[in-house]
Amino acid sequence: MTDIARLKDKFLKELKKEKSPEKRRKICKKYIEEELSSVFCSLKDLSSKERAKVGEKANEFRKFVLEQMSSAKGEAKEEKEWIDITLPGEEPELGSSHPLTKLQLRCKDIFLRMGFISVEGPELENEWYNFDALNFAKDHPVREMQDTLFVKQEKRSALPSEKKLLMRTHTSPVQVRYMEKRRPPFRIIVPGRVFRNEATDSSHEINFYQLEGLMVGEGVSVANFKAVISFFFRELFKSDVDIRLRPSFFPFTEPSFEVDVSCSLCGKKGCSVCGKTGWLEVMGAGMVHPNVLESAKVDPEKFNGFAFGLGLDRIAIIEHKVSDIRLFYSGDLRFLKQF
Amino acid sequence: MKFSYDFLQSFFRKKLPSPEELAKALMMHSFEVEGVEKVGSDFSIDIDVLPNRAGDCFSHIGIAREIAAVTGMEYKMPGTDVIEKGPEISKQISVEVRNACSRYTLRGIEGVKVKSSPPYLQRRLKSCGIKPINNVVDVANYVMLETGQPLHAFDADKLEGGKIVVRYAKKREKIVTLDEKRYELQESTLVISDELSAIGIAGIKGGIVPEVDKKTERVYLEAANFSPKVIRKGSQELKIRTDASLRFEYGIPAELTLMALDRAAVLIAQTGGGKVMKGAIDHYPKKREEKEVIFSAEDVRKILGVEISLKEVEKILRKLEFKVKRNKSFFYVVSPYFRTDIDIKEDIIEEVGRMYGYENIEPEVPVGEIIPAEKSSFLSSKDVCKKIWNGLGFDETYNYSFINQESAELFNRKILIEMEKPASLEFKYLRPSLVPGLCRNLKENEKNFEKIKMFETGKIFTKKEGSTQEGEMLGAISSVDDFYSLKEKINLFIRKFTYLSPSYEENGENVFMDKRRSAKIFLGKEKIGSFGEVSRTVTKEMKVKSGAAVAEIDLEKLIGFYKETKEYEPILRFPALVRDIAVLVPKKTRCLDVLEKITKEGGKNLREIKLFDVYEGKEIPMEMKNFAFRLFFQSGSKTLSSEEVNKLQKKITKSLEEVKEWKVRK
Repeated sequence: MTDIARLKDKFLKELKKEKSPEKRRKICKKYIEEELSSVFCSLKDLSSKERAKVGEKANEFRKFVLEQMSSAKGEAKEEKEWIDITLPGEEPELGSSHPLTKLQLRCKDIFLRMGFISVEGPELENEWYNFDALNFAKDHPVREMQDTLFVKQEKRSALPSEKKLLMRTHTSPVQVRYMEKRRPPFRIIVPGRVFRNEATDSSHEINFYQLEGLMVGEGVSVANFKAVISFFFRELFKSDVDIRLRPSFFPFTEPSFEVDVSCSLCGKKGCSVCGKTGWLEVMGAGMVHPNVLESAKVDPEKFNGFAFGLGLDRIAIIEHKVSDIRLFYSGDLRFLKQF
Repeated sequence: MKFSYDFLQSFFRKKLPSPEELAKALMMHSFEVEGVEKVGSDFSIDIDVLPNRAGDCFSHIGIAREIAAVTGMEYKMPGTDVIEKGPEISKQISVEVRNACSRYTLRGIEGVKVKSSPPYLQRRLKSCGIKPINNVVDVANYVMLETGQPLHAFDADKLEGGKIVVRYAKKREKIVTLDEKRYELQESTLVISDELSAIGIAGIKGGIVPEVDKKTERVYLEAANFSPKVIRKGSQELKIRTDASLRFEYGIPAELTLMALDRAAVLIAQTGGGKVMKGAIDHYPKKREEKEVIFSAEDVRKILGVEISLKEVEKILRKLEFKVKRNKSFFYVVSPYFRTDIDIKEDIIEEVGRMYGYENIEPEVPVGEIIPAEKSSFLSSKDVCKKIWNGLGFDETYNYSFINQESAELFNRKILIEMEKPASLEFKYLRPSLVPGLCRNLKENEKNFEKIKMFETGKIFTKKEGSTQEGEMLGAISSVDDFYSLKEKINLFIRKFTYLSPSYEENGENVFMDKRRSAKIFLGKEKIGSFGEVSRTVTKEMKVKSGAAVAEIDLEKLIGFYKETKEYEPILRFPALVRDIAVLVPKKTRCLDVLEKITKEGGKNLREIKLFDVYEGKEIPMEMKNFAFRLFFQSGSKTLSSEEVNKLQKKITKSLEEVKEWKVRK
């Protein structure tokens, strides 16, 4: 047995006797600092051949002692060290989704479960799709129901409707754009940005979001609309809300309704959010006007359907109790990081 | 529009429900009521009359009819029995209609005493927001509020000649209106004139010349039906909007004129004495034809989705004064003259639906074919994009679709699309890029945040050779990234989204990015975007802190490369051998060029190359730099031997040293 082997034997025996990790660590330390360093010192007296041989063994042993020392140290730590679990660690980075993105995703998910697929259309529209095809009478005040933001064009009044450009005032043009290229039945939703040329304030924005819906087939009825839209709002608000339809007017639907949802915050009792009425006005809707179906080359004698337009910003305002619509377009991280 | 509760009560013998109850009943079946306000002893009710019902419901009679239909109360029409004691009107004056007027009706009264109106009349005018003037003018206004037909009163003795003409204005014709404003008229504007000059702007505002004043004794009352389009155009050009022009623009039934004149004659005789002239001048060449609309009980069931009995449908329509004939389950319906909005069967079914009550229609889950959705991958893949950027620590922002003049200066004018009269100059142009919005976000968040990382997806708009283009982009900005760290994020994003690796080329064309520290992003041969450090022009112009990086990627193009699945690469079981290689190259040599050579020579067993150091400085020549690469060799079928790898390394070294100025350090 070499000197190193003997030393190791002795070390192991000593270590075995001791239970306390702290004391075992001290033993290891002693071997490194005293026993081993004297071995290394004595190396210089050996021949070069011997030196290499013993040196290698000594190094191996040193490594072994160090391993024992660190495991003893780990045990000691486990036993004694108290950590403050309330101290923060390093914060990971995860970006926030815009509240309107989140809302659109939820809406798309609910409608998809009823077979409605999501499509898009251009934001820069022409008058034909935005008005004419949707049965808005020409030279009539109904064209002013929505404050339209027009594109500056030379000799605009001489242009045909198809060339007169504007920012779409609603997502309804996509109804016609979608239908004219396909055959019924259709079930679609169209989330998207729309524009109104109004001075902005806490409840008005120059751009905001709508979610258009359209279902066309044979014998689609008001009763069907009520079923679809009740399901949607119950899923969206995760509560047993009621809906009600009131008479309204849109050139592109007949009959037309305003859709109110019972206020889920106060349960119809009346609160500040619903203006003490118990109801929230959230949607315009109706049965697609035969003239619109004709614009899209769909036979109104055979097919009919319903369409609706939901104000997404309005829903987001209600859900998050946001007091100012402009926050959605402010890019203010103090707001955005909350979502 | 404001309505007087007291006025509405005048059509009913029985007491009306309270204004609030009335509002509730109307809301569910007719119109929304915006508010009820007490005015003296009366109530002013603000009713949001739907635009298609302007023809009958911009009047108290119209609202009274709705109340009657909704509550079941009976209403009565106001008195129109005129006692004619004066001379024949046709002997006093004649009327010539030249343009844009489907009916023109005139009555005369002589011996009128002009004074103030009785209190009830004044009160009702005030509730509707109209100021009382004198009995003649007040009656004209009152009858307009009552019937919806605008009236106009002239002092007969102030007219020149014996003829009233309805015609377009002459070139540069001028008129002074009742409110003493002077207008020069367009040739497309319709006027009422005597034999000398225009005495009023038809359907919009009267002229001052034939004004009714205290001395007036003989009065002509006009009720006409002018072309809605002509009145609308005139009103827009002159920028005058009156209670009369509003009603004409929406369109009113021609049947109203004579009834309204008779009503006004009765009221003037009542309040101001005088004798009503015999007869009325009535120019009405083409009477409106009655139109029959046919529909079946099945149509009602199909559209409303509820079975309503034939009797009930008939009852509802009769209550609304429709003439109804029925043959088995078919209805033949003629609408009353005042319902100008009824044209097709859907219009009538709406009437049935709203009166029956939408609340009485039970929801019914739709049955029918569901067409499997054609792939609408654009929307859902966009959501995937957004999730990845969230994961990279970027917050999502929504900016306006517009830019102001200041930001516009950064772009070529020719590509910008300008807005016509935007509500604010902040919205003067459509955004041709997402970057100005993101820079604004950066600037505005700087005061509250140290690290800013934001992204947006949205439409941009440009003009190219006169035609407009709309595209969808993804933009990102970061205050903590430089060129290289943003590049790695873009790399990762594109790899996760498309399973492809992008390549890059020098940029130099984007105004927002530093010419040197920016690059174009390519997927295959297609340019899909660019990124780089924000240029000094932008940091100066937009007052943004320097040291930010920005990227803009064409989402439509990128989504063309979107891939949901891929074939996996087998996990290699055999150990990898690692070799380092250091290459000394001139400073302007691109890393990519060196990498390409190594890749080419390394063959299929060279699995990965990592650049772990770029060194310039002491110990190497001034004009040179040192790239240090770590190469990972691994085979899928066996354990590579040292010799095999050494051979490959030698091959690579040889190939690299074939380039004249390159040197592999050994």
